[in-house]
Amino acid sequence: MKRLAILAALLAAAVAVPLSFGSSHREAPRILKDPTGDNTDVWAYTAPDAPGSLTVVANWVPFADPAGGPNFYPLDENARYYVKIDNTGDGYEDVAYRWDFQTRFRNPNSFLYAAPTVDSVNDPDVNLVQTYDLYKETYNKNRRLVHTKRIANDAPVVPDNVGPKTIPNFAQVEAGGVTSLRGGGKTIVAPADDAFFADLGVIFDGINLDKPGRPNIGLGNQGGGKDDLAGYNSKSFVLQVPEREVTRDGKQVADMKAGNAVVGIWSTTERKRDSVLSASAAGKRKHPHGKRAQHDNWVQVSRLGNPLINEVIIPIGKKDKFNATSPANDAKNFGQFALNPEPARLLNALFNLGVQETNRTDIVQALLTGVPGLTQIGKNPAAADTLKLNLGVAPAANPNRFGVLAGDLAGFPNGRRLTDDVVDIELRVIAGALLSPPKNVPLGDGVDRNDKPFRSQFPYVALASDGFNSQLKRMEPQHAPVPQPPPAQLP
Amino acid sequence: MTAIRPNLLKLLAPLAAFACALVLFLALGRSGDAELPGGAAAVDVEIPPDASTDQRIAILQRTARDGIGGAEGYASLGDAYLQKARETGDPAYYSRAERSFGAALRQDPRNFDAVLGAGTLAGLRHDFREQLRLGRAAHRLEPGLVAALPVIADAQIELGRYPAAERTLQRMLDAKPNLASYARVSYYRELSGDLEGAVQAMRLAVSAGAAAPENVAYVQTLLGDLELQRRRPRTARTAYLRALARMPRYAPAEAGLARVAIAGGDLAGAARRLRAVSQRLPLTTYLTLLADVDMARGAARAAEGDLEVVRAQQRLLRAAGTQPDAELILFEANHGDPDTAVRLGRRLWTEAPSVRSADALGWALTRAGRAREGLAWAERALRLGSRDPVFRLHAGLAATAAGEPRLAARELRTALAARAALSPLQARDARAALEDIR
Repeated sequence: MKRLAILAALLAAAVAVPLSFGSSHREAPRILKDPTGDNTDVWAYTAPDAPGSLTVVANWVPFADPAGGPNFYPLDENARYYVKIDNTGDGYEDVAYRWDFQTRFRNPNSFLYAAPTVDSVNDPDVNLVQTYDLYKETYNKNRRLVHTKRIANDAPVVPDNVGPKTIPNFAQVEAGGVTSLRGGGKTIVAPADDAFFADLGVIFDGINLDKPGRPNIGLGNQGGGKDDLAGYNSKSFVLQVPEREVTRDGKQVADMKAGNAVVGIWSTTERKRDSVLSASAAGKRKHPHGKRAQHDNWVQVSRLGNPLINEVIIPIGKKDKFNATSPANDAKNFGQFALNPEPARLLNALFNLGVQETNRTDIVQALLTGVPGLTQIGKNPAAADTLKLNLGVAPAANPNRFGVLAGDLAGFPNGRRLTDDVVDIELRVIAGALLSPPKNVPLGDGVDRNDKPFRSQFPYVALASDGFNSQLKRMEPQHAPVPQPPPAQLP
Repeated sequence: MTAIRPNLLKLLAPLAAFACALVLFLALGRSGDAELPGGAAAVDVEIPPDASTDQRIAILQRTARDGIGGAEGYASLGDAYLQKARETGDPAYYSRAERSFGAALRQDPRNFDAVLGAGTLAGLRHDFREQLRLGRAAHRLEPGLVAALPVIADAQIELGRYPAAERTLQRMLDAKPNLASYARVSYYRELSGDLEGAVQAMRLAVSAGAAAPENVAYVQTLLGDLELQRRRPRTARTAYLRALARMPRYAPAEAGLARVAIAGGDLAGAARRLRAVSQRLPLTTYLTLLADVDMARGAARAAEGDLEVVRAQQRLLRAAGTQPDAELILFEANHGDPDTAVRLGRRLWTEAPSVRSADALGWALTRAGRAREGLAWAERALRLGSRDPVFRLHAGLAATAAGEPRLAARELRTALAARAALSPLQARDARAALEDIR
């Protein structure tokens, strides 16, 4: 789930000290923010330097502020972190990659995270050590887990970039975290610059149109926005595996029309199911849903496929249900919200744009069932919130941040590249860019790119900020407005 | 069309305000934002994620003053005040929070965050029936969200409705196993006498982590407290130091280290720590422990000074609308007038019939010279199976005074088994009573 939330993030911030601590009340934080469980983004694409592979970047732990204080962000060793893949189109996973973490203190008597200087990923000066095993799970068509293979064993998590004094050469440390996988491919779990870019907040003054801090933003298609994610890190899990590891028939993808070309991808976090009191004390408890399902021992606490669905399409009161359910049931559970999207009504209520508010089958197709001939899995796929990638589309020589809207078929919503401007794309899609005939409104958030450039090699995401050289809240320079549809070649 | 901004509708031509629409879209996704259109607009205010509580309060106060922000803005301000109350230990912020939630609810009586915030505030003031009522009301507003369940569970526990609390906690665990759920499950297990299970759950809370370092320090410290009860002061010390590594100067962890010092016989060191802590955060828990330590060290005047601060703090709490709770009643029984404590204890039991209230009333009765009744109530406090050493101590001393030496010896031994979690005077009283029995 994305953690956008200025307000929500704040309200979840520190519960300092309860007024009556100790044996009286349990003034436990009531806010259910869960950063180690909170998946924030998924990207999936064919990397230009790895054309026969699937590349996935899955982020967890939002707003990891690199600067200030003894803050570090270990992952939860009691959780399961998944990237799941549907290659049949029913919305259930056929292949899943699972990271399991272990945490230990190298020196149990020390409470430091790390001491100067850390020069490699296995440097003994890192005191809080996290490692992981990576498993590939395979499911049959009855959704049974039929095979689990460990493809990485005891691999190091790259430590947090706590500062140049402790880690003088973070790139060097990060490089040591690249782990080869049995069966082909590689992975890394590392802090990284949060690859998402968006203007999350503006001060709204009902009378004064000059936005304090955003005077030049216009419709959001000419720069002038502020990237609220700039300078923050996240934990990136980057996975690259040969296509045949994830396709329906276990073969490489020949071209974009191949039957095995499209896969749906999403990430989940799970924690173990438990009883309040141990079985002996509480006695039997009838399972509320009757027959126990496959993964009944684990509770899914979060899931994410396409960007911004949980934030924009799913109503507030349904967010927890969204996080707990499978994409396979999205049509039944949430179909109406995609067909009749709230943001369309909002656009009309505030700005009288005449956006179509109901029967938005174009949105359902773009994001949930897939675009025929491009991102549709099979003939009759479920409407499932998975990020659908056609592995047969070659990477674009000059990626256009508007992706498919600008005729760049290698971009969102065909998968999602790091540079794709999903906020602008989704705004324009909601306004009607994919309708027939299209309703073209040149919307955006005024932020066009990430604060740091991405890398052309694995792990592709930008190096984690160290807090001393980070540039919080970058303003996008102004430029000529980008019309809708955007030109194939952006200036 | 929104009523709040008629000016906007005239400005369709430049649409310069457009970018805010994006924010409003994103705002729709955030829990608790008011619905558009038709209701009051949820205006988004810009608060940097790294803003301090004071900065947040300032921005939200301005928003409220300017009449933008709607119910949501007021609810957020209320939550910020609650936050401030926790940071400072100053219950005066409760009144401000109450006014903010009230303003929110006047604008929109169905605002989830306002209802839930008001419920949380009620709990902090020990009005647990109101907390339960509001928690349930919030849950009815958004039955699909888990967020109201912790408030409901907390109230149910304080009201002694343990089976209901267990059901609520199970729902939380089944939906959102995370720090907030694990910490509460741990407490429930502790109340039920399952210390090992309590530790296990608290470890899960620690590994799950939280958005703020403080939340992790909180559960690390609770883990330390549990380890003290399990007679593992070294493990407890590690937990407290880990909490402090995450959040330097975190008061409850400092107090935990003071307890470790007490367990190790270093009363001077314990007093130093507790004095430093209670100067920053004058909580009754720290001050009464400090008074005990001072008495045990022979510093009677210092002890009396500590108790005076407690009395002042209790007056502030009352002025801020906080109902007397078990902690106050125990203080009154130990350092004030036991008959008053009995009176308050009976009222507390009527309001909040929990095992903690039973223990407080029982101890008040014992101190008032009515040991038989005190013993009956002490046993009621133990009905879930708690191994809380203070519950056991109260039961043991009541049994002693009531002429039940066998029972007394058993309870006192159980209390002393967790002596690391007792104050010096409590440990001394337990040992002395046990000696007398032999």
